[in-house]
Amino acid sequence: MKGFSVERRLMPVDTSLSLALITLLSVVAALVIGGVLMMPFGANPFLAYWQLFEAGFATWRGFGFTLVKAAPLIMVGLATICAWRTGFAYLGFEGCLLIGAAAATWTAMQALPGAVLEGVPFFMFLPMVIAVSMLSGAIWSGIVGYFKSRFGGNEVITSLMMNYVAIFLVQYLVSGPLRAKGDLPVSPRLPENTWLPYLFDGSRAHLGIVMALVATLLVWVLLLKSRVGYELIVTGLNPKAARYGGINVGTRQLLASFLAGGLAAMAGTVDILGVHHRLVDGLAEGTGFVGIVVALLGKLNPIGCVIAAILYAGLTVGADAMQRQAGLPASVIFIVQSLIILFVLASDILRYYRISRVGPAKTTPVEVSG
Amino acid sequence: MDQGFTFSVFLVAWLTAAIRLSGPLLLAALGETFSERSGLLNIGIEGTMLLGAITSYLVTLWTGSPWLGLLAAMLIGLLANTFLAWMYVQVQANQVVVGIIFNILALGVASYTYRLSMEGVTGPQKVAMFEPIPIPGLAAIPIVGPILFTHSILLYLTVALVAVAAFVLYRTRFGLQLRAAGENPRAGSAAGIDIVRMRYAGVLISGIAAAAAGAYLVLVQVGLFRETIVAGQGFIALAIVIFGRWDPWKVAIAAFVFGAADALQLSLQLFQVGLPPQLLLSLPYLLTILAMSGILGKTHQPEALMASYRRE
Repeated sequence: MKGFSVERRLMPVDTSLSLALITLLSVVAALVIGGVLMMPFGANPFLAYWQLFEAGFATWRGFGFTLVKAAPLIMVGLATICAWRTGFAYLGFEGCLLIGAAAATWTAMQALPGAVLEGVPFFMFLPMVIAVSMLSGAIWSGIVGYFKSRFGGNEVITSLMMNYVAIFLVQYLVSGPLRAKGDLPVSPRLPENTWLPYLFDGSRAHLGIVMALVATLLVWVLLLKSRVGYELIVTGLNPKAARYGGINVGTRQLLASFLAGGLAAMAGTVDILGVHHRLVDGLAEGTGFVGIVVALLGKLNPIGCVIAAILYAGLTVGADAMQRQAGLPASVIFIVQSLIILFVLASDILRYYRISRVGPAKTTPVEVSG
Repeated sequence: MDQGFTFSVFLVAWLTAAIRLSGPLLLAALGETFSERSGLLNIGIEGTMLLGAITSYLVTLWTGSPWLGLLAAMLIGLLANTFLAWMYVQVQANQVVVGIIFNILALGVASYTYRLSMEGVTGPQKVAMFEPIPIPGLAAIPIVGPILFTHSILLYLTVALVAVAAFVLYRTRFGLQLRAAGENPRAGSAAGIDIVRMRYAGVLISGIAAAAAGAYLVLVQVGLFRETIVAGQGFIALAIVIFGRWDPWKVAIAAFVFGAADALQLSLQLFQVGLPPQLLLSLPYLLTILAMSGILGKTHQPEALMASYRRE
C-alpha cells in the first residue's frame, strides 16, 4: 500500500525555491478567486487581468502612476525596516507621514508671494524641506521612542494612539492656521517652484521615486554595512546579548525611532510636493499601514521592500483602470491583494511540514549499534 | 432661569448623544477585552465590524427583521474570526500585520457584496431598525430620564453585558483560564490549561461582539450601509480597551468618555465656542498615551499580550 505521510519539521524550509514556489502559488490562488468574483459582472477575467497589468506596468503613463504610488510606500517600508529590525515595534507611520506632509506644506508656504522664501530656486528649497520634514517626523516618533527607552512604555499602543492625534492635528491645521481663504478646509496651493519636478514627458512620475531609491541605498548601507547598523540589528535580534556586548539598547532604540519617523515623514513630503501640492484632510489613506505590509513582504530587506512596493502600487493603479475600463468594482483587486498577502503569511505553516511518499510497510532489520 | 434652562437642554442633548455614540464602541471594546486578556491583540475588529454592518444590513433588508440581521452578523463575525484566530494562534503570523490586511480584505468583501446585492436597485434602501424604547416611569424623571432611559434595546443589552463580562472574567473558571493564557501561557499550560483553546475563545468572543457592534451602527444609528460606516471605530475600541485597563467596568467608563468627547465637539460646533474641536477629540487619545507611556508608573497590561505561544 502506497501513501503519503506528513511529518513536522523542526525548522521551516527556507530555500529560495520553496519560498518562490509558495509565493507563486499564493498569487495564483488569489488571482483565481478574483477571477471567480469577476464572473457575476459578466467580465472575462483574463481580459480584465491583462488590462490591469497593462495599466499598472506596461504603459508608460500607467507605470508613471505606479511609481508615484510606490514612492511613499517605499519610504514607509524603509521606516518599518529601521524600527522593526531594532526591535522597536512602531506602528505610528501614518502619523509621521501626516506630520511630514504638514511640515512640507508649512515650509513650502514660506515660498508664497510675500513670504521669506519667495522665489527660492528648487535646488535650494529641496534640502531645506527635507531637513524640516525629517526633523519633525523624527521628533514626533522620538516621543514614543523616548517613552520606550526611558520609561519602558508600550510603543505598540502609544504609537497607534499618536496616529489619531496626528490626524486631528492636520484637521486643525487645515481648518485654522494653514487654511486658505475660501470655503474648503485646505491649505493654499503651493508655489510651483516648490513642486517635485516630473521626470519624463507624458508621465506623472516625479522626483519622489528617485528620492525613495536614494533613501533605499542609504538605509541599505547604514543598516547592513555600518557599525551603527550592526548595533541596531543586534539590539533587535537579542537585546540582552546586545546589552551584555556593551551596546546601550535604549539609545539604539531611540535612534531607530528617529530614523523611522524621519523616513516616514518623507512619505508625506513626496506626496504633498509631488501629487497634492496642498495640505488636505484625509491625506494618508492607510499608506502608513500598507507600508508596513510592503516591508514585511520584502522580508524587512530594503531591496525587497522596493520590489514589493512597486508590485503593490502597480496592482492598485491597475485596479483603478480596470474599474474604469471593464466596469468591474476595484474591490475585487483589494480582495486579491489582501488574499495574496494572507496566503503568503498562512503558507508559513506549510513550510513546517514535509510530505513524503511512504512505501508499503516493510520490516526493516533492526540495527544494533554497539 | 432662562440660562439654566438652556444649560439643562444642552446637558440632556450632550449626554444622550454621548451614550448613543458610545454604545457600539463599548460593545466592540468589551469583546476586544477578552481577546487581549487571552494574549492576542485583535486589530481585525475594525474589519469585522464592517462585515457585521453589511451582513446585518442585507439580511434585515431581505427578511425585514433586525433581530435576524443581528444574528446573521454575529454568525459572520464568528466565521471570520475563526480564520483570524487560526492565523494568530496556529500560524503565529504577526498579529498586527494579519489584522491590518484582514481589515483591507473586509473592506473589499463588504464593498463587493454591497455592489453585487444592490445591482439594479436605485437609491439607498433604508432597513427596519431597533427603535428607542423609553422605559416606563424611569424615562419621565427630569434630566436623568431622557439621558439614561430612552435608548434602543441594544444599548440596554450592551450595558448588561458589562456586568456579564466582568462576572465571566473574574468569577468563573473560564475567565481565570483565559486570563492565565494572557498572563503566563507556560505556567498556565503546566497547570493543565489548554492555552490554544483559550486564545481561540478570546478572539471568537471579540469577533462576535465586533460584528454585533457593526450591526448596531446599521440597525440603531443609520439604517443604511455605507463603506465608511465604521471609519476607524474599531481602532477607537482598541484605544478604549487600553484606556479602560482591560477591565470591563473601566472599559465602560472609557467608552463613555470617548463618546462624550465626540458628542461635546459636535454640540460645541453648534454653539460656536472658540475652542478647536480637534483638541477635544484628541483628548482621550492623549490621556491613553499618557497612561501607557510609563511616566505614571508601569500599567499592568496582560503580560503575554502579543507574545506568541507554541505548545511544547
